[in-house]
Amino acid sequence: MEGILKNAGEIALHAVHARGLEGEAFLMYDRELNIEVSDGQVETLQEAEQMGLGLRVFNGGRMGFAYSSDLSEKAIEEMVENAVHISEFTAADEFNRFPEGDQAYPVIKTFDEGISAVTIADKIDIAREAERAARAFDPRIKLVERAGYEDSEYSTLVMNSRGLYAFGKGNYCGLQISLVADEDDDTQNGFAFTMQREIASLNPKSVGEEAAMKAVRSLGGRTIPSARIQCIMDPYVVTRFMGLLSSSIEADAVQKGKSMLADKMGRQVASRPITLLDDGTNKDGIASFPFDGEGVASSRNMIIENGDLVGFLYDTNSGLKAGLKSTGNGIRGSFRSLPGVGITNLMLKPGLDSQESLIGDIGQGFYITEVMGMHTANPITGDFSVGAAGIMIEQGQLTFPVRGITVAGNLLRLLQDIEAVGNDLRFYGGKAAASIRLNSINIGGH
Amino acid sequence: MVEKELLARVLEKAMEKGGDFAEIYIEEKLTSNVLCEDDRIEKINSGREKGAGIRLIKDGKTFYVSTNDLSAAGLLKAAAVVNHGMETHSREIGPAITLSLQEAGFPMEFLRLPEQVDFAEKIEHVLKANNIARNLDKEIRQVTVAVGDMHKKVQIANSNGELIEDETARVRFLVNAVASRAGQIQTGYEVAGGVSGWELLNQVSLEDMANQAAIRALAMLSARPAPAGRMPVVMHSEAGGTMVHEACGHGLEADLVQKGLSVYQDKMGQQVANEEVSVIDDATLPGKYGSFRWDDEGSPARRTLLIDNGFLQGFLYDRLTANKDGVQSSGNGRRESYQDKPIPRMSNTFITSGGDEPDRIIKDTARGLLVKKMGGGQVNTTNGDFVFDVQEGYIIENGEIKYPVRGATLIGNGPRALMNIDRVGKDLGFGIGVCGKDSQGVAVGDAQPTIRIKELTVGGTFMTEGPQIKRIRRK
Repeated sequence: MEGILKNAGEIALHAVHARGLEGEAFLMYDRELNIEVSDGQVETLQEAEQMGLGLRVFNGGRMGFAYSSDLSEKAIEEMVENAVHISEFTAADEFNRFPEGDQAYPVIKTFDEGISAVTIADKIDIAREAERAARAFDPRIKLVERAGYEDSEYSTLVMNSRGLYAFGKGNYCGLQISLVADEDDDTQNGFAFTMQREIASLNPKSVGEEAAMKAVRSLGGRTIPSARIQCIMDPYVVTRFMGLLSSSIEADAVQKGKSMLADKMGRQVASRPITLLDDGTNKDGIASFPFDGEGVASSRNMIIENGDLVGFLYDTNSGLKAGLKSTGNGIRGSFRSLPGVGITNLMLKPGLDSQESLIGDIGQGFYITEVMGMHTANPITGDFSVGAAGIMIEQGQLTFPVRGITVAGNLLRLLQDIEAVGNDLRFYGGKAAASIRLNSINIGGH
Repeated sequence: MVEKELLARVLEKAMEKGGDFAEIYIEEKLTSNVLCEDDRIEKINSGREKGAGIRLIKDGKTFYVSTNDLSAAGLLKAAAVVNHGMETHSREIGPAITLSLQEAGFPMEFLRLPEQVDFAEKIEHVLKANNIARNLDKEIRQVTVAVGDMHKKVQIANSNGELIEDETARVRFLVNAVASRAGQIQTGYEVAGGVSGWELLNQVSLEDMANQAAIRALAMLSARPAPAGRMPVVMHSEAGGTMVHEACGHGLEADLVQKGLSVYQDKMGQQVANEEVSVIDDATLPGKYGSFRWDDEGSPARRTLLIDNGFLQGFLYDRLTANKDGVQSSGNGRRESYQDKPIPRMSNTFITSGGDEPDRIIKDTARGLLVKKMGGGQVNTTNGDFVFDVQEGYIIENGEIKYPVRGATLIGNGPRALMNIDRVGKDLGFGIGVCGKDSQGVAVGDAQPTIRIKELTVGGTFMTEGPQIKRIRRK
């Protein structure tokens, strides 16, 4: 695969150089398998394969970008022409430079032979097992919408006019299940997923049981009066709020005044229990890779340390603007998009207490297990007002399920309100979090 | 595009080991985007993509393979992979397939295709809009103007012998303005788009959108926090159709209904909304964002009556789900790209106009919330609970619009909200969006007249001590 990608990249860069400009070719090949099972039967089996090239050119600081999934010489020549044409219209930026070739790449195991060795039939069985476990967990699980297994194998190559050349190969697999519990005319959804670097780490039974547990515990939920009370946030809900925070730790948002943390470097922005880092080299992280979308070496970057804001994430352009180096966070979704500052594995450092002990000394509080409409929160100001569901806490015990309420507030305030972080750290895709306890949150009910 | 004979050979190859239905979807797509931010043209991109998706259905199971290798060898290899997935090893002889080109039900004309409009012209419009928003007031601190377009050609051929060759284009404009005063930040956005070439500019002015977005951001600077609690809600037709999309559209998609995941299952023929309310999904509306001539599996576009004066009349079907229910596809089989299998999706979904004067509805409301613009939303189809946010809202007191409020989130239950619609205006206003389901995004339109819902839960921020609440959704 490397040879095919390299050849296309060389044709593109050659054509860029012939016009006296500098360029960067990002090439990707990936192959995905998706299996969906329902009632023990395969419902969909999907195999996808794609390859493509995204080309950036710098024309006196002006950037042009074009992509193509057609890697014929003619298509590449047209793409170069397009990218160069576009570069004549964009604004010049003196920090539009490609990273140098002298990168020292970390050694990370990103490829599991096991994923390609396991047969499709056995992968179907993994999904079936999750479904079986969910149904066996509780008779009120009436319906399994789907149990899905997926894996992806990808090769990435970056080369630029500054002599940078990087090639890497990776894969991962995942399992997800969504289902419905039904009792006394009430139906509640349950969902669980996991993504792993190694197929041996997939645990279908625990994924199935987790989804079933979530659905069953929500049955019979009712709304509660509006209140401002203590709360525990489930790790998954914490990752949703980390997603809201993530754009504010990206240097381009900071430089454009679109970050709620813009003028807070070196200051305390969260309570002392909070330490947050982005680690593109973590051995368990799904987003770990030796280099980013610009070919810059991945690294481990502290963002909030014991409550103090200590760093932002940079790509090459925003790094140069700040007089710093790229932190290896020039992220690309695919060959179709430009690199931009983004997170790799965003991780909250766990604390010492179990979730039970965090709940244990709450007199009256609320355990948030689910938030809806998080995409409506404002990533610039941190203001949020989202739908929520969860379980009431009374005298240190989880009591009755609650639904149809909103939780509202501001993310910066929420960070200050965190009293403790639990020890139940868990990865959800590229984000890892543990339970947190807040001294109070606004609940809008009836 | 691909030769008809090759398409037939690929289908035959896919059916070689049996199967009930085979299909090949070929797509060639050009896209471009221009983004202005920080008072300068920051990004422009242009992309070319082509690929094929081959689908084989056997006993309700779907096998799907996608590739962007459109050579004969590449397509035949993909067809071999798709039937490789067959669990049965019957030695059936596949059928010989002859394809015949289908005639579209109505014409679609694109006067100025995206690739025929030079970047210089697109940029001129973008910069003009940027200047208008920025010059409106010095409290406007940031302006984003984005224009995007797409032109694609598709071929769809299937084992029934049908061949469809189609072409479509879409153009979309977005303006987002950020206003700030005394450390407080508010945003306003406008988005518009259609199945159209750049002649969309004859109907939509990017400059007006910029003006509107900036005015909204400024207006929200002096808005008060929204109250919380249950109250009557008047949704203005200008608000767009997020409510109908979430409160009932998704729940009427046949795949969810058949799986038992819809609050509307087993309700066919029953009353699910107030008698004033009719809901239609119509892909044939000229130029709307969710319009098409053929759906993405080659069924002709249709107008489907979903709720007729309060009574449930129809679901949204693709081929697979229609086959299961023994009905015809409603032409709602859609996919994001050649990489995805088609599933039932909305096109343009709307509540039809009623008889009330919109102003009268407000005048007859003693106290409540007027929603002038909706943001994004989300729904749990199983129980019908939905949530969406209000971009621009006002408090109504004694039939008069009193003052703007921000930070309102509306929470409700689909069937309950539809039953509680007690007034329906004679107007109709459209919104556009990208709807996400099963990780596939498709362009949709939605609309509603000015309506009143007797009671919805407003999740406001009256108790918040810190900075006031609001939010943004860039559609």
